[in-house]
Amino acid sequence: IELEKSHYSDHEIRKLEEEEQLRRRKESLYDDDDEAPGKTVIMAQDLEDKWEQKLQQFKAAPRITDADKNNNRTSLNRKLDSNLMLLVKQKIGNQELWLLPQVEWQPGETLRSTAERAMATFLGDHIQAKILGNAPYGIYKYKFPRAVRTEDNVGAKVFFFKAFLQSSDLSQAELKEDYLWVTKDELGDYLKSEYLKKVNRFLLD
Amino acid sequence: FFLSSWLPQTLPFRGSHWQASLLALRASLPVRAQPKKKKKVDVKREQAQKDRMKKKIKKLEKAAPEMIPIEDFIAPLQYSDSNRVRSLPPLSFEENERRVLLMKKWCLFKQKQDKAEKKAIQNLVEAQQEALKELRLESEELYQAAIRRDEGLFPFERDGPDYTPPLPGYDPPEGKCVDITKVYTQ
Repeated sequence: IELEKSHYSDHEIRKLEEEEQLRRRKESLYDDDDEAPGKTVIMAQDLEDKWEQKLQQFKAAPRITDADKNNNRTSLNRKLDSNLMLLVKQKIGNQELWLLPQVEWQPGETLRSTAERAMATFLGDHIQAKILGNAPYGIYKYKFPRAVRTEDNVGAKVFFFKAFLQSSDLSQAELKEDYLWVTKDELGDYLKSEYLKKVNRFLLD
Repeated sequence: FFLSSWLPQTLPFRGSHWQASLLALRASLPVRAQPKKKKKVDVKREQAQKDRMKKKIKKLEKAAPEMIPIEDFIAPLQYSDSNRVRSLPPLSFEENERRVLLMKKWCLFKQKQDKAEKKAIQNLVEAQQEALKELRLESEELYQAAIRRDEGLFPFERDGPDYTPPLPGYDPPEGKCVDITKVYTQ
């Protein structure tokens, strides 16, 4: 409690006065016995004790959940103090890779609608997520291996968007088996180095 | 002479030639007497009253509007009683030193934190600029679509971080909240 720059509050004054009264009653050897049995007075000290008891009885939920202890990376209930990102295993070309969910851009739609489509494919239609802005946050470009290259398509550019999940209720989501929720530090376990470098640039925390 | 004396008293006297008939006496004669004067004076008096009221209203409106007191800045008198002052022992020298050093460490820590945040934001902006440049190289149309403002972004709301996660199935105790703030009108 702030003691140096404050005055006594009403509750404290009441407590002090009641202590004085008690002392005086004891010293004057129970002269005011006529008053005492008549009323039952609630002292400020009693109130404080009652509040303390209530506080002891209340137990808050633990910060380290079960998923933390089991290191179950598919649940959203782990690492409650940092941000989690969705990683999906996708097949690109002939390789199965862990990636941030991506979907090919169809001509005729904006980049943001592509991002929304990607969210819908991976997380279900009724997902409540807020995409932050129309502009991409980062880019990763790579060239196809020589076998796949044609005249027009030398490589591909992947644009990244950020979105916040509003509700942590994913019971309606139709996620496939290979998904993970990871923090920024754990990204390095799954992503390739080049990809990881570019992704780390636009991720805070 | 006896003949002429009693003749006019038996018949009603038809003096003026304006009278059409004997019965239409009272209606036709225009009366310029007391009743009409009352009407004019009334109208004038009422108009004078209205003007006075309007002048008063204008004067009241011209006066500057009353200031609404900010209740946070006025400390109620009951809190400046002397019996409320605490009696604490004075701070020791070591305590003061400890506080000063703690303040310095805190300043340093906050400065580092601030610099790190600004650097992170700078990195973010750089990455975004690069991405937009590449997008421009790809297609101008998509670039223009990306640059447009996102109207649905603000006002942006997000629940603040709590120290402990919410208890499942917790029933908060009921209570009634009565709002006693004073509302002032200017």
